[in-house]
Formats: sequence, C-alpha cells, structure tokens
Amino acid sequence: MDSLSEVLLSVQGLYKSYGSVRAVRGISFRVQRASVFTILGPNGAGKTTTLEILEGIRAADAGEIELFGHKTRRVTERMKQRMGVLLQDGNFEPYLKVREVLSLFSCFFERALPVDEVLERVALTSKTGALVRTLSGGQRQRLAVGVALINDPELIFLDEPTTGLDPQARRNLWRIFQELQDAGKTVILTTHYMEEAEALSDHVCIMDHGTIIAEGSPEELARGLGQDSIIEFELPHMEAAALAPLREFGSAVEHRNGSVVIHAPKLTEAMSGLLSWARAHGIALTNLAVRQPNLEDVFLSLTGRRLRE
Amino acid sequence: MNGILNLGYCSLRAWLRERITLFWSLFFPVFLLILLGVIFGGGDGEGYMRFHIGLVNLDRDAEHKAFAGLVEAAFAELAHRAEEYRDQLFILTRPTEGEDAEEFLLAEREALRQGQRAAVVVIPAGFSEEVFRAMHGTPGSLQAEVKVLYGHGDASSELAASIVEQVLTRLERELLIQAELYDPQQEVRVDASWVGTADGAARYIDFLLPGVILMAFLTNGLFGVPGSILYARDQRILRRYWVTPLTVRRYLIGFSLSMLGMCALQLGILWALGRWAFGAQVQLAAPAPVLYLLLSAVTFLALGFLISSVAKTANAGMAIANILNMPLLFLSGIFFPVTGLPVVLQALVYSNPVTYLVDGMRASLGVGTGQVPLWATVTVPLLWIALAAAVAGRRLQWDVDR
Repeated sequence: MDSLSEVLLSVQGLYKSYGSVRAVRGISFRVQRASVFTILGPNGAGKTTTLEILEGIRAADAGEIELFGHKTRRVTERMKQRMGVLLQDGNFEPYLKVREVLSLFSCFFERALPVDEVLERVALTSKTGALVRTLSGGQRQRLAVGVALINDPELIFLDEPTTGLDPQARRNLWRIFQELQDAGKTVILTTHYMEEAEALSDHVCIMDHGTIIAEGSPEELARGLGQDSIIEFELPHMEAAALAPLREFGSAVEHRNGSVVIHAPKLTEAMSGLLSWARAHGIALTNLAVRQPNLEDVFLSLTGRRLRE
Repeated sequence: MNGILNLGYCSLRAWLRERITLFWSLFFPVFLLILLGVIFGGGDGEGYMRFHIGLVNLDRDAEHKAFAGLVEAAFAELAHRAEEYRDQLFILTRPTEGEDAEEFLLAEREALRQGQRAAVVVIPAGFSEEVFRAMHGTPGSLQAEVKVLYGHGDASSELAASIVEQVLTRLERELLIQAELYDPQQEVRVDASWVGTADGAARYIDFLLPGVILMAFLTNGLFGVPGSILYARDQRILRRYWVTPLTVRRYLIGFSLSMLGMCALQLGILWALGRWAFGAQVQLAAPAPVLYLLLSAVTFLALGFLISSVAKTANAGMAIANILNMPLLFLSGIFFPVTGLPVVLQALVYSNPVTYLVDGMRASLGVGTGQVPLWATVTVPLLWIALAAAVAGRRLQWDVDR
C-alpha cells in the first residue's frame, strides 16, 4: 500500500448514548497517516464523545475501530503507548512543577522524549520550576500539549485545544501544531473555530447532532457551495420584507445576528444591485465584505445555523 | 515500576506543598503531642505518670488484724518498691499516727473528688474477720472485700483503679496461698500488671506517643485519601492518566505508597520529638509495634477508600470524613480509656477499628492494659480492610461521569 494513502484509523458505525441522549449516532470515517483530520461542529455535536472513545476512556455502545492495523472494540494499553492526547477538560496536579509533570508522564511510557526537548518545543523552558497552579491559561495548555507529545506519539488527539485562549496564545499553539504536521504526525483535531479548522486541516468532517453531515478537504467543502461569492454587511434593524429585492442577486440571502449574508453567483451584478438598493433605502452598508465561501458558510448552508450560536 | 514509584513520589511532593495538608497531617499532631506532653507529662517534673492513692484501714479487729495489715503492706511495698527506681508509680497517703481513720477517709474522699487522688483504697471494718472465717470455712469461698474508690470518668483515676484491681488480684492469690487453699489449676493469670515500660515506670508520654502517631495516620486516611482521589477525579487530573498506558491498579499502588511515605514521615517526626523533647522510651522499632503501625496505616487507607466510594464529590468526602473523625478518635481510647459508657456508645467503641489498633499497639509496647483480646486487635482491622476493599472494588468511580 502506498504510504501516503495508508489508513491509520478507521471507524465504522460508532454509537454512544448517555441515557436517553444519543451523543454519537453511527458515524464512520477514516484517517490517513500523516494528515490532520478535523472534526468541526458546534458544542454538543458529539465531537468530544467520539474522541473519548478513540482515546480509550469511554466504551462505545456499538461500532468498530481499526487502529494501527488492529481491529478492536476498546483501545488497548499497547495502542496508548503510541498515542498522545490533549483532553478538552484535562488537568494536572496543581502542586507539581512543570518539569515534574513531564517527567512523571514520561515514566508511563516505554519510550519517551527527553523532558528538556519537549519543554523547548512547547516554549516552557523558562517555567520548568513553576507550580502548575501558577501557570497562565496559555502556559497550562502548552504544558498539556507537551504531555501529549512526551512519548513521541504517532497519533495525536487535540480536543478543542484553543478554546478559551486569547488570540496570541492560540497562534502559539497553531505554530506547534503546524510543526507536528511538518514532522509527519497524524493529528485528530476537534474545534468549533472555523478559522482553526481552515488553517490546520487536511481533511474536515462536519458533525452535528451526533452525525457527520459533510466531509472533505476545506477547499472541497467550500467548492461544494458552487462558485458563489459571499457578500456580507452589518444591518442591525431591518424588516425581512425590505430584503426581498436582494433575492434577485443571490442564490441565498440570510439575515442573522444583525448581519446580512448574500451568496452571489454573479458578483458584479449583485454588487451594483446592492448599491442601488442601499442608496434607495439610505443604508450605510457598514463593514461590507466580499469573500470566497469558507467552512462557516458550509455549516450555515447545511444546518441553517452558525457554528457559535 | 518506575512509573509507580514516580507517581508515589509526585503525590507525596504535591501533598507536602499544600498548606492545609501540612497543617493537619504534620503540624497538628506535633502541636498536640507538645501540648499534651507539656500539660500532662511535664507536671510532675520529669513527666512520669504518678498516681496519688489514699489507703485507709477501718478494720479494728485486734485478733486477726494481720490480714488487713497484709493488704496495707502490699500497697506500702508497692510505693516503696517504686521509690527505689527513679520513677515512682504510686504515691501513697495514709493516716498519720493517732489520726482518726473515719475522718481521714472523709478527707481522702474530698481529695478524690477534687482530683488530687487517683483512687482511695478502703479496707472495711471486719475485713480480717471475713478473711479468717473464709480461710477456715468452705474451701474456695474467700469473700472478703476491699473497696476501691475512684473518680468515675477521670482518665487517670480509671487507669489507677485498674492497676489497683490487679494488685488486689495478686493479693488475693497470696491470701489463698496463705490459707493453703491455693490450687495451681485455678491460678488467675496476672499479666500486664503494670502500666509502664519493662522497668515499671509509667510515663504519660509513652502512653500518649503511640496514640498521637495513630491519630496522625488516621488523618491521612480519612482526609487525605478522599481529598486527593476525589479532587483529582473531579478536576479531571485522573482522566489525564487514563489516556496513558497507566492502569488503575498501578495508580492505586503508587498512591498508596505516597500515603505510606507520609505515614513514615509523621512517624519519624513524632517519634523524634517524643524521644528528644519528652524522653519517650517506647520501643517502636520492635517487630510487633511495627506490625501494628503498618496495619493501622493500611486500615486507615482502606477507610479513606471506603469514604471515597460512597461520596459523590471531594467536598462530600471531606464532610463524611469530618463526621467520622470525632467518634473514631474519641470512642477509641486513643487519649483516655473508654469505660462505663452507655450501651450504644459501647457498640461504637467496639466496632471502631481504632479501638483495636490503639489497644494492640499499646499492648505491644507494654504501655496499655489490653482491654480487648489480642486476636481481635488484628482481626477486626483486617475485617474493616476487607469490607473497604469489597465496597471500593465495586463502587469507587475513577472518572467523572458525563
């Protein structure tokens, strides 16, 4: 088999319920070696549950997993030797020092990288002697990434790695993730940040209500919306009826959360029409933007909702 | 293996960095040892346990007074014998020449009431006559009685009373021998007749030290185990371990090692303090005491796991530990002997594993009176360990539910 197209993980018909809540409803997907596979979806879509099953801390109700070439119902310790995990809500003992945490976790694996090398990779060299409880949110997350990398894993799970971080801290993490990608690691990422998925992913699957509703590379998915351009502007107060003339220029016109989104197959005509409409109604077209469709638009057109609502 | 040891080491390090743990597990027991050691041990100059005992003879029978005299002599000898040692267990007060015995008794009763006497031994009128008649009457029916008055509910008084009783048992045997009624088959075995170390000295610090050590161990188990495990579970610190090859079993071993490490630390500090600051002489380094120390540490660890199994959160675990802490400590005889309690409380005393551990521990050190049978001091704690293991094995949750 060609190593480029080698499948590292394949999941078939995965089900998981919590009581009457059906969190994951029979999803199937495949992850290629040395790719970044992203599960994109809003909160409660079933992303974390899917990951927790693959990480080995939850048992699936039904379904088949094939990981590292072995079929299994539950992830084994042998498999965990080759996996690195960044949990969404994982924590470390607050009264341990950064170096102690890393050396502790390195002991759990048969093979581990030198602690100093990992410290450098996640830019925590200046914090080795600091207690976990004194770290900032971004530093704590970098430590979590360091712990996930301590065993030099082939497969890395990153569950919502940048949620709640400031833009600077987020960019720092993206840099580390891109290095993983360059090193040929396989990464499974979940996020509800569309920009994150676009910046990092080779392959995206969009999840909603426990099912996969679309799958492909970010470009493929966006292309699925056709060659439409997206026109967007802010419009806080407007009767829906007043927007009616705009439908002439767009395949879809949405008015949500105080902004209007027009999917325009013919950009020039749509723009000139929009300008005369704006002049006629005395509208300022605040923050007018024209752009190519992105994953957010894909999600919007598939579900009628935005990712973060 | 490396992972287990490192886990144990890290748990202990993290633990020792927490101020609240330092306070309850190290500072508090040390403070208590100093406090009680200074208050009760230091009062008599060198910290030896002494009992002030009054002895009064109301028997004026001139004919057979030899028997009453025998009792008097036994106690006098007791006080005298101790005087030969640096440390005196009994300080005997008797009526002076010509003092009225009844009046003396009244004064002694008052002294007992005020806590100046641990016990008052009264040889009642007609005692010698009774003994004489018993000796020449039906064999084996010795009925003469010596009264021992002691302060009910006063720890040192009850301790003194139990020693006096043992002296009387010995005396009874002597009387039987004198009466030639002695039957070796009927011998009442008299052992552990002294509260004290081998040389007969009873020092409060030697009685106190094992108790404080067990109390410190109990704190680890009751508060440390649910506090650490449930907190780590609720904060998803444990979950982070479960996505590595570390198994629950190996985590458990590592965690337990950290607990035992903590116990060893407490033991070292308290023992050094007791020895160098208060001159404790108990031989903790003998096989039997070490066995009891280990059994105690494991029993309390098991109690901690039991609490962790029934508590939903770390806070709930701490609340349960707080509720259990007082009865476990005070209905156990760690600080004073528990006798004469209502049946309900006695049931608690005798289902409390601490009762057995502290009793076995003190008996093995020669500083206790052995209130429960020796076999029970091992089997009852083992039963608790088995119960805790069974419950924890079934109910203890190692990860938060969604």
